[in-house]
Amino acid sequence: MTIEPGPEVPIKPVIGFRRPRFKETGLMGVLVALGLFLSIFGGSLPVTNRDTGEVVKVNKFFRADNLDKLAKNTSFFAIMAVGATFVIITGGIDLSVGAVYCLAAVCGAMFLNRFGPHGAGSGAPAFLVVPGAILVCLGVGGLCGFINGLGVVGLRVHSFVITLGTMAIYRGIAFVMTKAQAFTDFPPQFTDGFVRREINWHGASLYPVPLAIMIGVTGFAWWYLKHSVTGRHIFAVGGNEQASLFSGLPVNWVKVKVYTFSGLAAGIAAMIMLGYYGSASSDAGKGYELDVIAAAVVGGASLAGGRGTALGALLGALIIQVINNGIIILNIDQNYSQIIIGAVIVLAVLLDRINNSLRERRMTRAARPGKVS
Amino acid sequence: MAGACHAIMGENGAGKSTLGKIVAGIHRPDEGSLMVEGVLRRFNSPLDAQRAGIAIVHQELSFCPNLSVAENLCLSHLPRRAGRLDWRQLHERARFYLDQVGANCDVREELGGLSTGQTQMVQIAAALATRARIFVLDEPTSSLSAGETKRLEELISRLRQNGATILYVSHRMDEIFRLCDVVTVMRDGQQVATLPLAQTNEAELVKLMIGRSWQKMFPEHIDRPLGPERLRVEKFSSPGKFHDVNFSIHSGEVLGVAGLVGSGRSEVALGIFGLDRRVSGRIFVDGNEARPRSPRAAMKLGLGLVSEDRKGQGLVLGMECGENITLSSLDRLSRGGVIRRGGERGVIVRFFEKLRVKAASPHVPAQTLSGGNQQKLVLAKWLARESRVLILDEPTRGVDVGAKGEIHRLIGELAAAGHAILMISSELPEVLNLSTRVIVMRQGQLVATLDRCEATAERVLKWMAGCGGETTSGAGQPAGHALG
Repeated sequence: MTIEPGPEVPIKPVIGFRRPRFKETGLMGVLVALGLFLSIFGGSLPVTNRDTGEVVKVNKFFRADNLDKLAKNTSFFAIMAVGATFVIITGGIDLSVGAVYCLAAVCGAMFLNRFGPHGAGSGAPAFLVVPGAILVCLGVGGLCGFINGLGVVGLRVHSFVITLGTMAIYRGIAFVMTKAQAFTDFPPQFTDGFVRREINWHGASLYPVPLAIMIGVTGFAWWYLKHSVTGRHIFAVGGNEQASLFSGLPVNWVKVKVYTFSGLAAGIAAMIMLGYYGSASSDAGKGYELDVIAAAVVGGASLAGGRGTALGALLGALIIQVINNGIIILNIDQNYSQIIIGAVIVLAVLLDRINNSLRERRMTRAARPGKVS
Repeated sequence: MAGACHAIMGENGAGKSTLGKIVAGIHRPDEGSLMVEGVLRRFNSPLDAQRAGIAIVHQELSFCPNLSVAENLCLSHLPRRAGRLDWRQLHERARFYLDQVGANCDVREELGGLSTGQTQMVQIAAALATRARIFVLDEPTSSLSAGETKRLEELISRLRQNGATILYVSHRMDEIFRLCDVVTVMRDGQQVATLPLAQTNEAELVKLMIGRSWQKMFPEHIDRPLGPERLRVEKFSSPGKFHDVNFSIHSGEVLGVAGLVGSGRSEVALGIFGLDRRVSGRIFVDGNEARPRSPRAAMKLGLGLVSEDRKGQGLVLGMECGENITLSSLDRLSRGGVIRRGGERGVIVRFFEKLRVKAASPHVPAQTLSGGNQQKLVLAKWLARESRVLILDEPTRGVDVGAKGEIHRLIGELAAAGHAILMISSELPEVLNLSTRVIVMRQGQLVATLDRCEATAERVLKWMAGCGGETTSGAGQPAGHALG
């Protein structure tokens, strides 16, 4: 009797290329809930239509100009929070964003003032002035960030210390440069013609450019983190710096890049601010660093490194701004806003951690060899 | 027995340290009982063991390196006066304990600033301070200078005269014969023999430590002719770590590196891989002189390092398994800095199948995998990079038996496919079975290069422990044979 060889069982490791689920679902949920809450309980106010003169009741929260203001307010923080998220994913922190924002704004303001209606270079063509101003803001921001990166990598000092130092230095430079005076009088091609370009929509005047830039920056950052080599390296360095070094990754270069990007983001934010408000002084962006880090953290970035998303940073900034907005709409005493925002930050991080430990447990259960066939 | 000194011997990983830690209450036993002075005890924490009069002295310090020696010594009951720390009494008491062990160091100095030997003395002093009567010394001399060793030996005999019992875990034959009365030999977590040292000799102990349980295997790469030389180091030195190391590895070869923990094996690997800035000497890769100054440079030369610390240095545990595999080869799987998803997926699938990685999906985080599968990911990372020279440091540490066999088979296959492999291992059977040649390191020096046929367990073990020279120059054959 011979033993029939059984059918050859192919080695079949389970390779299901199922993408992991959308990470920002929770944040989206919170945002929608907040929006609904404010729309329902925010009340309404009478508005006179400019064209017809008739008075209509409009929802306080859910109306075009409020949402537009919300988007504008969010855009500075969201853009900087996206930059800060890059740094936080690598396990670092950038405390200098507020100061970089200020220095870039001041440099841009001095440039614009020079080419403004009453400046020395007035009458310069718009196609030179506008890109020039953009270049100044982004260049100063990027350079400041680059210096932060070099400091962190070259001096081997914790980023907290380096950026704490540069925070004071950059703001100090801004003070010295401006002699504590504000700069205004910008060429209208930059303000009304670019950042503050107005469109009319059903009687409300909207300013879509800050919103568009914010979406553009977030979209690029999202794509970059997900699809670029450096993006992957950023997560690896934050997840385990030593293993990244042992795996032959350019760890130092990756770090320089993220700080540069953070500075660049602050420069972009500064540019929007300049165009929108038409002035800047050395007081600009004071205390922004903490708001920006708060937005990144609410958006799911882990200060321990290795985790965070660009969309999360945007949503984090948006949630904080919606709460701020809600405090005004609900007529809550302004003095409470700090308390509420602070509580929300802690709560967000707590929820995120609970959510993560649940997911980890599920993953571990799923990865048990017994379940693999 | 009061006043006795009981030695525990065995290879790396035989379970000596674990036994010591169970006695000292650091680990809990799964079963079995522990009697201390005739009383059955069950320790739930080191503190329980301390109360029962047991103290352990080991390399991994349980002290605060940022506090002074005196503070560390009296940490559990700091003298207080009027609610404040009584510094004078603290220093006096610390000095008293240190005098007892004959350590000469300033009680005000930070513990972190002391040498290993001094720290060990402080640990023993701290053990005395807890009025311990049973001391577990886990490889106390492995990092001591000759003078310090002598002082430690004096201290041990003084402790014994005072009625203390000592459990002495060590590799070193000479010390054990000098200091101890009874020896227990362990192998693979089992007690092999317990005999009085007066009735045995070195050769018998070596034989007991190795056992006769394994047979030599012949993986397929052994018979193949060697290819061209891939890696050669000459006069490779790093101050305080290793000195004048010379060897070369050819394509298709597995060069095994044997040696005790701390003999400089891993340090050589790190030195080659660009992780030690103080190395001197020459490195040749594929015949060309090269000096990688960073792991990145080493990687670009075609080297790959699977380090002994898989979780700390090998993997980004929070990242997906697949991402860990392609981590080092992303620049080859991308165009213009953008990862080609399809290319990456192909590589991941290929190595998942080739190495039979058991994971629910390539998207689960690496930390959810077992040790063996994690090790496969690290290997896959370098294979994906097409590294031709692989440095494997303890490739099967913390890996279950099944995965161990698979990794062994894989090492053989890789060598047969033309890789040059430097394999550092504490497991003698692993080294002897897989290596085409074996080099032995001891105290930072390369003490022997043995061909596969010369490399017997007895010989390698003797070179490792430092009495190899006598065997080869004296009797001409391993002493174990005479007894066997």
